[in-house]
Amino acid sequence: MDAATPATQAPDPAILHTESKKTRRLIIASYWIVILLAIPLWWSTTSIERQSLPTANVLAQQERELVFPVRVHLDTSRYGGVENTILVQEVQRQLDSNRDLSEAQEMRVQILSEPSNGDTYQVSLSRGAREPAVQGRQLSLDVQTDDQSSPTVLAMQLADTIVTLLAPYTAARGSQTERVVKYAPRYRLAFTLLNEDSASGNAALTWDIRASLSKHIAPLLERLSVLHNFTVESQVQYHAPLAFDPQIVYSQDRTEYGLTQEDLTVFVNSAEWTLSSSVSNDPVLHFVLFIPSQQHSPLHILDERGHSIASTAFVLPQWGGIVILNRPSPIVSRHLAASVLDAAFVTFRYQLKALLGVPALPSHVHLADASFDGAGITDWQLDALLRRRAVENVVGTQETLQSIVRLVDQIEGMPVGLDVKSDVLGALNALEKVYAAASASSARAAQSAGAAFSLASRAFFNPGMLALLYFPPEHKYAVYAPLFASSAAPLLAAILREVLAWRRARKARNRGEHQADTTGRQKVE
Amino acid sequence: MRLVKIIYLLGLCFYQLASAATEEQFDEELTLRPLRDGKLAARFSLTTLLKGSTPRSPESLGLDDASQHYTLFPLALGQILREYAVTEMHLTLNAGKWNYEGWGYPEEAGVGTGGELWAWMGDSGTVTVDERWKGLRNALAGLFCASLGALDEQRTTSPALTFRPEGHLPNGTASHQLRHATLPSEHVCTENLTPFLKLLPCKSLSGIASLLNPHRLFDADWHGLGVHVRYRSGMGVEVRLAFQAVFDPVRYSTERRRDWSFHSVFGRVVRMACPVARSSLVRVRLPESSYALAPVPTNVVGDYAVYDVTNTSQPLDVELRWPEEHAFQYPLGSDLMPLTPLSIRRSLKGSSQYTAQLAIELKNNLPVEIQTSYLETMPWLLQFELHTLKLHSNAVPRDDLVEIVTYTPSVPHARPSLLQAVLTLPPKATLQLTMDVMKPFLRYTEHPPDAQRGWDLPPAVFLPFSFGEGNYSVAHTHDDRDTGAHRAGDREPQGLAPHAQAPVEARAQRMYTPVLLVDLATPDFSMPYNVIIMSCTLVALIFGSVLNLLTRKLVIVRVGDAKTQ
Repeated sequence: MDAATPATQAPDPAILHTESKKTRRLIIASYWIVILLAIPLWWSTTSIERQSLPTANVLAQQERELVFPVRVHLDTSRYGGVENTILVQEVQRQLDSNRDLSEAQEMRVQILSEPSNGDTYQVSLSRGAREPAVQGRQLSLDVQTDDQSSPTVLAMQLADTIVTLLAPYTAARGSQTERVVKYAPRYRLAFTLLNEDSASGNAALTWDIRASLSKHIAPLLERLSVLHNFTVESQVQYHAPLAFDPQIVYSQDRTEYGLTQEDLTVFVNSAEWTLSSSVSNDPVLHFVLFIPSQQHSPLHILDERGHSIASTAFVLPQWGGIVILNRPSPIVSRHLAASVLDAAFVTFRYQLKALLGVPALPSHVHLADASFDGAGITDWQLDALLRRRAVENVVGTQETLQSIVRLVDQIEGMPVGLDVKSDVLGALNALEKVYAAASASSARAAQSAGAAFSLASRAFFNPGMLALLYFPPEHKYAVYAPLFASSAAPLLAAILREVLAWRRARKARNRGEHQADTTGRQKVE
Repeated sequence: MRLVKIIYLLGLCFYQLASAATEEQFDEELTLRPLRDGKLAARFSLTTLLKGSTPRSPESLGLDDASQHYTLFPLALGQILREYAVTEMHLTLNAGKWNYEGWGYPEEAGVGTGGELWAWMGDSGTVTVDERWKGLRNALAGLFCASLGALDEQRTTSPALTFRPEGHLPNGTASHQLRHATLPSEHVCTENLTPFLKLLPCKSLSGIASLLNPHRLFDADWHGLGVHVRYRSGMGVEVRLAFQAVFDPVRYSTERRRDWSFHSVFGRVVRMACPVARSSLVRVRLPESSYALAPVPTNVVGDYAVYDVTNTSQPLDVELRWPEEHAFQYPLGSDLMPLTPLSIRRSLKGSSQYTAQLAIELKNNLPVEIQTSYLETMPWLLQFELHTLKLHSNAVPRDDLVEIVTYTPSVPHARPSLLQAVLTLPPKATLQLTMDVMKPFLRYTEHPPDAQRGWDLPPAVFLPFSFGEGNYSVAHTHDDRDTGAHRAGDREPQGLAPHAQAPVEARAQRMYTPVLLVDLATPDFSMPYNVIIMSCTLVALIFGSVLNLLTRKLVIVRVGDAKTQ
């Protein structure tokens, strides 16, 4: 205590004048403030862009169904055997209970006794013995004059015909629907004249493709232009060998060659035939006119029992159609004129319709003679196709949108850019248009549905959403860890030490005022 | 029926009747030329002409294109040409070094090692030339299975002086632009030939093209394929597929003879004619020494024996023998005159990793003054220091002999440099051109796989255009547009020349130098991870000590007091 007396005059050398509790705490606090302030900056520069998607709206779409109101005007003025209103009621009742129609679930059929404006179908009853015929949206149905059947039987017959015309897809399932290509706004149609071996003698070196196309295919494409755009191209190949040897079939006096059903599945020799083009992403439908070489002629298709069948054409589901042309020997001309190609191109037109999903008319209903416009598609068929594509695309859009929402929900590191969001919103917007247009025009509904599906697919396949798969957050932390872990240690140690010192000082203050001085001087650590 | 007059072969012409109804024509031709070093140069030229068609106008790119209906014309290529509105296009993929001095001018001018693509495209407001160039090179990369997609902005230039259009550019439309890029490290192989053959109407199954046997072609000392599209005004769009190879019959022969036949060289013979070919000709250059040629040629025109296989039904196996020769004697190099007016040597000197010297030695083999254009398209991997460009003629400084026409400096990581100059070579003089170059430092990600191998640099291109004061008439290689003559016609020097017997022929044809290899500084590729760990440790160490110094509580311990207590 003797030393205390001089200490009051000079500063105590034991206390450093730079050493201050307040400064030390300020330094530690400023470090932590800088770190805390930097965290938002770090967060915003390293986090990924995730736009919020309209999840609720997308999920609500699942509940919605597309229903087309269909109005059919029943005209019995030329029949007169039965009261119009009774027949209308009876047909309506039959239709309401029809199983095919209720399964299809895409339209609400209403039978009218009076003609109404808009896209109304018309069914005209008359006496006669002609087969039922369609023209445009009109169906002329003849009833035998001596047929004194009750309105119920007549109504059943009527309802049946109407259902097969309005909902032609319910009857044809399985293979029929599987061969229809997926919807695309634009297809490339590639017509190819394939000579198996043009050096062998019976080859066709040129063909009159332009005339045949404009005669047989162009009207059909024009008719379907509400739904699809088409790019048409053609080429000739002079050496297109088969990948297998056709079977030899002996019939009567000469040797023929046959393709078994298995051969048909491997007929296209994609290694040797250059059919596909790489210049665009549009789906390609191939139509191949195949001319077998002299040593493989004539070439026929065999049925399961090994007999050759009359047809020499077949469809490869979702790929295209093939017609085998056996040329008469001796060869008259090395040029295939349009008249020679007629049969093949009628087949191509039929195959194209099948691939695009155009329904066939029911077997007992005929096309009115005057109404053949080169396309051979009535409004009944076209409307059915439009309704079907619209429903298909609406369902497809709904499913795609839901997948996007689910995927984004599941994978937290998946970036969602503005373009994805705008595509999703665009698809939803287009879906709204479909529902709005359904009652007015099936063509406009189908177009909007197509647009919705394209937008949804584009959003789903947006390459920007894959970015994080190549640089997962784990990599980021692996780079950060050596820096952050080692610099965090002294920071934490400093704050811990300071807290401990503060608590000890408070405890000491509580114990006794006079001892506080010595406790404060005690060295920590 | 209309008579179409077609001019064939050399100065002599003969006429052929052809049906005017055919809109597309296919002509095939094989030229075989024995070389003085015992080798055999073969050139296939397979030409398809789409009559009456014009290249797509670039203004119509926004609209739907007309349907494409082809019979002989390759659809896959036609689609690419229409999609990107290409007026003229030349793609070559070569392997090996063309020996100009020993082999003379090649039949196909484009012999630069590796890949080369150049195209003339019309300007358009809808889609820019650069976008279409990008689409074109990617589409061709897909079609020919070549890495042409790598011909990006870092390799694309527009050397319009050297690469003039070989056909016509449609008038009345917007002006045209050239895009040119080389890929010297590209290797040509079977996977490029297979799609090439698929573009032919008869594939390689009949006609002369059936001789294109990949096993033999890619065994040749030099081989390369080319696709040439041009527009010939008044005729149509022409696609010419070319394959050029230099075989070594001495190597194939057990007796070291230079005799050859189709069978010994190609491993095949022409069995049947391509039914759609308008003409199929095999031309064999007759040697000066005594020889035996079998079978008897259809025709002999000048120095060439011609076999017409257009309608052949017999298999054709042409055989050329030197019956008086027992074993082939290689000529000694010192006795031989070079066959081209210029001899070019280009090298990169210097061992350091940041500078080097580009040196070119040009020798004029003619007794007249030659003017030649000189083109360097160099990726930014080598940066020119233009002020150091020096020219010596026979060891005397002659900077007046070079005239720089255009120079576009390179931009690192973005643009190659383009140097176009005109050199004047005094008679029989040797010119030494030197220029210092800088080797830049590449970014970590810019190094290719196998970075230690170095970078291939594109060849320089020379185009001699003026030979003296009219002593030497110049045979233009691609000026047949005015006469409408068959391409092969004007190729022949003998047809025009009073100097037919001279060993050196003067021709305005592009000459490519061999490619160079540059060795750039390559890092240790495991470095970045080491650097991350190392620098993180250092930063953490410094940070920790500074923090400790700032926050540590310092006290003075009185040692003396403790002792007294």
